[in-house]
Amino acid sequence: MLKSFKIYWPFASNQIKANFAYKGSFYLYMLRKFFGMFIYYYLWMAIYASSTSDVLGGFTKNEMIMYVFMSYTISDIIMINISSDIGRDVVDGNVAMNLIKPINYRMSLVFRAFGIMIYKLVMPSLFIWVGLEIFKVTKLGMSVSNPVTILAFFISMFLSFLIYVFFDYCFGMLAFVTTYIFGMTIIKNAMLSFLTGRLIPISFFPAVVQKIFSFLPFTAMTYVPVMIYLGKYTGEQILLELGKQLIWAILLFLIGGFLWKKVEKRIVILGG
Amino acid sequence: MKSLRRYLRLYRIFAVQYIKTMMQSKIDFFIGLGGFLISQGAGIAFLYLVFEQIPSMKDWSFEQMLFIYGFAQIPRGIDHLLTDNLWMVSWQMVIRGTFDKYMLRPMNLFFQIVCEKIQMDALGELLIGMILVARAVSNGTVEITPLKVIFFVISVLAGAVIYTSVKLFFAALAFWVKDSSPFLTTAYEMADFAKYPIEIYSKPIQIILMTVLPFAFVAYIPSTFFLVNRNVLTTVGAECAIAVIFWLISYALFQRGLVRYESAGN
Repeated sequence: MLKSFKIYWPFASNQIKANFAYKGSFYLYMLRKFFGMFIYYYLWMAIYASSTSDVLGGFTKNEMIMYVFMSYTISDIIMINISSDIGRDVVDGNVAMNLIKPINYRMSLVFRAFGIMIYKLVMPSLFIWVGLEIFKVTKLGMSVSNPVTILAFFISMFLSFLIYVFFDYCFGMLAFVTTYIFGMTIIKNAMLSFLTGRLIPISFFPAVVQKIFSFLPFTAMTYVPVMIYLGKYTGEQILLELGKQLIWAILLFLIGGFLWKKVEKRIVILGG
Repeated sequence: MKSLRRYLRLYRIFAVQYIKTMMQSKIDFFIGLGGFLISQGAGIAFLYLVFEQIPSMKDWSFEQMLFIYGFAQIPRGIDHLLTDNLWMVSWQMVIRGTFDKYMLRPMNLFFQIVCEKIQMDALGELLIGMILVARAVSNGTVEITPLKVIFFVISVLAGAVIYTSVKLFFAALAFWVKDSSPFLTTAYEMADFAKYPIEIYSKPIQIILMTVLPFAFVAYIPSTFFLVNRNVLTTVGAECAIAVIFWLISYALFQRGLVRYESAGN
């Protein structure tokens, strides 16, 4: 375990360094993220202003504000695309190079994503969080999150990261079938924004749909950590949700391994 | 007139060539189309779920919001369909020096860039936009008169020109900064604000949407003419004026950029 961590850690640290090198594009990226968040912030403000009741889908206005910002930030941190890397490797034949090296292709991808996640966690998100906490306590008059909640939240977020990356690895296997990964990525992002509850909290859906969603891995991606952070889950329920996340991570890991075995046989590399 | 005919003929030739290359992988076409259909579908489902909870938003009903949403997609789709190649200028052509090839041909440069690609993915946006507008017409959210139909066509075209102008402006920045795609993406992201009534945003954002990045004029402002009969001059008229002004600015910047262009060497 420790040994493999030592082997693959350079993949992560490389990504951290590379990301720190391009600060300019990073600030623009942040600006763009803020635009996206603020559209929904204003939409929800208008929605609550037009509503006769104070609580919509189980959320008060203040909770909804926190929900919007948190789910955006979290999905930004954990949703690191490795499928586009796979797509590129397949198109230009790099996959072959990875097959002859004595390393596990998936592990190297996961660690690369891990590096990016650490970078995103440290750079923008910490600042956003501190800002959000201050905003939450001073402006919204909500209480400071307690340490246990925060700990559970971080564990949950790490599991979310694993679920997403393992899922995206499975998704990336499509690169062996079609080369139009750009189009596939648009489909994936649109589906995920919906299924993970980033666009609108799961509690807004009809009961039947909620039931179906609870059997899919997507709510375990961003919805669970946000709900833990907001204090919507308590005691046992937190443990239950964390357990579900763990099961999904393991399941998707196994599926990914199975799919790789399937496509490995299909690989055709031109030239060398 | 003669040159116009020449350009139309050339466009047809380029389009046919492009469609031939597209036919090589039909599945890609459906993936792209499906992608944009699903993203639009998610946006509509969001509105639907929200309006389950509230009767109206800032005096706009669900049906009216759908019209605005759909109406915003049509000019965006037209621009996406026809001028998608400008993205390549912003992030590749100037850096790599592949822009050279345009300089060597006796044709208008903007025309050459644009005619090289027809982005079929845009049909997803156009389709959704038209369905939503047709729905609004059929259930009486907007009433149609011959005059309104004419203004609708004008408004859609002017909206597409605004989109193209903004795109051209930020793509042309590449002549100075080499890779302007981060700026272009950021500007383009602002267009998402246009899908909803701008009254819901705070004042600074409203001002940006009406001046620097005039996306308020591509859908929301003209749609008030169709929905609640606001004065045509201050809505569709203003939209056309903005379209002309922004096109002139962007095209002038593009022309200045061309003078600055230096090839990447070999």
